[in-house]
Amino acid sequence: MGLLSILKKLRSNPDKELRLLLLGLDNAGKTTLLKQLASEDVTHVTPTAGFNIKSVLSSGFKLNVWDIGGQRKIRPYWRNYFENTDILIYVVDCSDHQRLEETSQELTELLQDDKLRGVPLLVYANKQDLSTALPSPRQ
Amino acid sequence: MIINLWSVLQWYLRPIIKWFLRKTTRLCELQRICYGDKAGAPRTCNVERSLMLSRTKDIKEVISHLDATVAEKRFTVDNFRNIFDPSVAIIIRAKQINCKLHGSFVVSIRRCLEQIWSYRNLVNEVEELRRIQFDSNDPSHEEKLLKLWSLLVPNELLESRVSKQWQAIGFQGDDPKTDFRGMGLLGLENLLFFASEYPQASSHVLSHSHHPKYGYTFAIVGINLTSMAYYLLKDGSAKTYMFNTKRYLPDINLFHRFYCYLFYEFDKMWIESKPQNIMEFSVIFKKFENAVRTELADPASVFRINIEVDTI
Repeated sequence: MGLLSILKKLRSNPDKELRLLLLGLDNAGKTTLLKQLASEDVTHVTPTAGFNIKSVLSSGFKLNVWDIGGQRKIRPYWRNYFENTDILIYVVDCSDHQRLEETSQELTELLQDDKLRGVPLLVYANKQDLSTALPSPRQ
Repeated sequence: MIINLWSVLQWYLRPIIKWFLRKTTRLCELQRICYGDKAGAPRTCNVERSLMLSRTKDIKEVISHLDATVAEKRFTVDNFRNIFDPSVAIIIRAKQINCKLHGSFVVSIRRCLEQIWSYRNLVNEVEELRRIQFDSNDPSHEEKLLKLWSLLVPNELLESRVSKQWQAIGFQGDDPKTDFRGMGLLGLENLLFFASEYPQASSHVLSHSHHPKYGYTFAIVGINLTSMAYYLLKDGSAKTYMFNTKRYLPDINLFHRFYCYLFYEFDKMWIESKPQNIMEFSVIFKKFENAVRTELADPASVFRINIEVDTI
């Protein structure tokens, strides 16, 4: 269903422009992912107050990537960025065992929002390389 | 293309112009700079440019010797005599300057050399601090973090090391350890210096960050300002600030002062902008950076924190 809807959207979008939304708790790795997509240096990342946006050209597509800060105080503003989202990437820090509950709760709330209905979702299990990362799927 | 042509022209023209000026003024380029340009960034930056463009073998050797001193970590203030006396002597000999006639040149060129290489040394030092990740298993790191709390919130005890209270000084969650990220220990040292050396300014700024309408996250904004200060230092923009400070040579404390200046000024701009909410941060932060860069681009700019009476 996800792929199909992306393809449908692409066909109706002659400019081949996509809006990607990166969400997740603070310290999940959203900004690092954004910088990685833009082939920028990822060793100097700072916590996001507010949001970052970058336009990336990738295989003929212009990706407008929105990276919204994940700290609790900012989460109420997430919904201001839902409009016209083509793909939602939800980033999870696999080594943050304590906040697994919190992150799944936030995701559940996101999925209940009308503005995100039908938007394809990618849950990005980040930091798999850390020794403290949870195995996938969880045993 | 035009730039290329210009650099080629400059390569051939520079020695001719220099020779002509030397004959007419009877002063070498370094002397003309030291006598003609105002002490501080205008003079030191021009001396640095002149030295770097020099094709004289002795001058090139002085440069690589001083760079090696920095790279090998032998660059300390106690060592200044050993570092700079021979360098100044070589420059005077290479440029055939009469020390008796030009005593003030000797003083002035020495000051320039001290500033230039202190700056280069500082870039290394700051980079090293940035690379140290905050480590909660390191007691000295933990101590610094707790000290930051006691300085910023002297009337409230931290209930436990992991606590919601950290959010009061603008960390993201219950444990600040993950907030330093790519700025490492540098971010913490910056905040600590602001809180300890400018208690009045930092508590003024912290109270603004609690403003019901224009509030922001103090520590997180602080870490982003560390990043700004770091890049301004690395690309050389901060030279204006560092070289125009008469009392200090560029060193880690001067870098901290530069950071404090940025923090104080950012806070001022933020409050004056009357932002709707924290989501305007990126826009105002960029605007602030541009304003700072414009100011630093003028070598005559002098920077200091002027604490003003609050009107909001």
